[in-house]
Amino acid sequence: MAASTFCPALLPLLRINCKFNGVYTRISLNRRAAYSLGLTASNGVERQGLPERGNQGQRRQRRAVEPRTERMTVDQDWTAVYPTAASFKPNSVPLPVRMGYPVKRGVPPAKKGNLELIKIPNFLHLTPEAIKKHCEALKPFCTEWPAALDSDAKCEEHFPIQVESKAYVSAGPSLRNPNARIITLTVKLSSLNLDEHARKKLIRLSGERYNKDTDTLTITTDSCPMKQQNYDYAMYLLTVLYHESWKTEAWEKEKTRADMEEYVWEDSPSQKNILETLLRMRPLGEKEEEGEVREELLGRVEVQEYKDSVTKLKNEGETETNMQQYKEAVKKLLNI
Amino acid sequence: MTASMRIASVRLLSKTRHYFSSEVAVQPGARTVHHQPASTRNVCLIPVAFLHKGRAYGTQSSSVTVTEEPDLLFQKLSVLVKSHDKAVLDSYEFFATLAAKELGLTLAKVFEPPKNIERLTLLKSVHIFKKHRVQYEMRTHYRCIEISRITGSTSRVYLEYIQRNLPEGVAMEVTKTAIEKVPDHIQMPLWSVQSQEKQGSQ
Repeated sequence: MAASTFCPALLPLLRINCKFNGVYTRISLNRRAAYSLGLTASNGVERQGLPERGNQGQRRQRRAVEPRTERMTVDQDWTAVYPTAASFKPNSVPLPVRMGYPVKRGVPPAKKGNLELIKIPNFLHLTPEAIKKHCEALKPFCTEWPAALDSDAKCEEHFPIQVESKAYVSAGPSLRNPNARIITLTVKLSSLNLDEHARKKLIRLSGERYNKDTDTLTITTDSCPMKQQNYDYAMYLLTVLYHESWKTEAWEKEKTRADMEEYVWEDSPSQKNILETLLRMRPLGEKEEEGEVREELLGRVEVQEYKDSVTKLKNEGETETNMQQYKEAVKKLLNI
Repeated sequence: MTASMRIASVRLLSKTRHYFSSEVAVQPGARTVHHQPASTRNVCLIPVAFLHKGRAYGTQSSSVTVTEEPDLLFQKLSVLVKSHDKAVLDSYEFFATLAAKELGLTLAKVFEPPKNIERLTLLKSVHIFKKHRVQYEMRTHYRCIEISRITGSTSRVYLEYIQRNLPEGVAMEVTKTAIEKVPDHIQMPLWSVQSQEKQGSQ
């Protein structure tokens, strides 16, 4: 405690002590003085105010005790002072914090009785030391990620299905958030066991949910009230799509050229035209069977090249390389 | 130590241990039996690649128990916190990132999405005085912490720790991306087998 409030008679004694004990005592006295400079004044005010209250009150007025900060050492265990989240207590925090808007030609108000410091959330219970202690206690409950799955590609290869869900934490009249029930299931079709027909049928069945560029099927479910139910429903939809795509219905035989997803050269007008052209190009006089001639013509390398170039043009669209390929194929066929 | 143990024992968690062989190849019998716990008991005796033991609900003492329920795997865990106060989010980000590092998690990205300001213009007076208005705004600051490749048990531990220490006035949205194997009933088609049988009988 500062010497000024106590009996002035003791002052010379303290000063004598300082001389005897050296610098250390002086420093400690000064430090204590620094903390309690503000307090001594207020203590004096309180002391003066107390007797005026009157001794008639049955409740004894509490004496102002020195703040806890006075007895704190520099190397104390701070996690014992603030073990959990608590509001700011100026007598427990040995920092000269100031907060608030300053008065004219003044400074922000000090920490004692400062409402601004009490209002804002503080992180005094989460110092790095405290976080490390907590994590040390939590480590036994954690598991390690399997070392073999160190890249995204490997995860994709062994675990093709991705299920995305959200959770919400907020304060309000209700803890629940209805958006937490939504589940999004993503899977690449290349990782499923599908043949050509099944793949095309699945793409048709899924419609908007299939992304051609990334070859992913995305199923979003929100029709059930619980997350678990939505997840089960999403898996059910995936199962149904898969098994239905393997089925071949009777009416699928009526698939016309207009229904085809890709251009197929066989039995197309292009094939008929080229065969007719080549037949006419042959020298007259050779009467052979139509079927044999056709097969022979189709077997030629130039015809195959022409077929590839036309298929590419139709499926991928017109690009420089495709057009060049078509030009070369036609030139070879017609011997230009 | 006692202080930290007191904090840890507030909610009893239990550990999960997982077994995996050094081979990368997945045995065809490995299952994601997340939703059929009864049938995993026999399977888990075999150390199959990527088969994880799941969590169980803890006993009275805060001891670590291992169950046979397979552990989930999350490719990405995204924690988005929102608040009106940016300083609080700064401190919270420091806390969350330090906690992740201490627990050995990989922080993929820690960034600040742009803030969102919602403005309202209202009449200043209760009655008439249309020309005099007052304007309010609500600023929402965001912070996003993305963690990649985390197991189900660790994510529960981390999220519970983070959420218990969420300050007042801060909301959180967690996006989890779990990865799973293709379930058994989608491995082989039913209908092609049936059609083959029909053809065989004919």
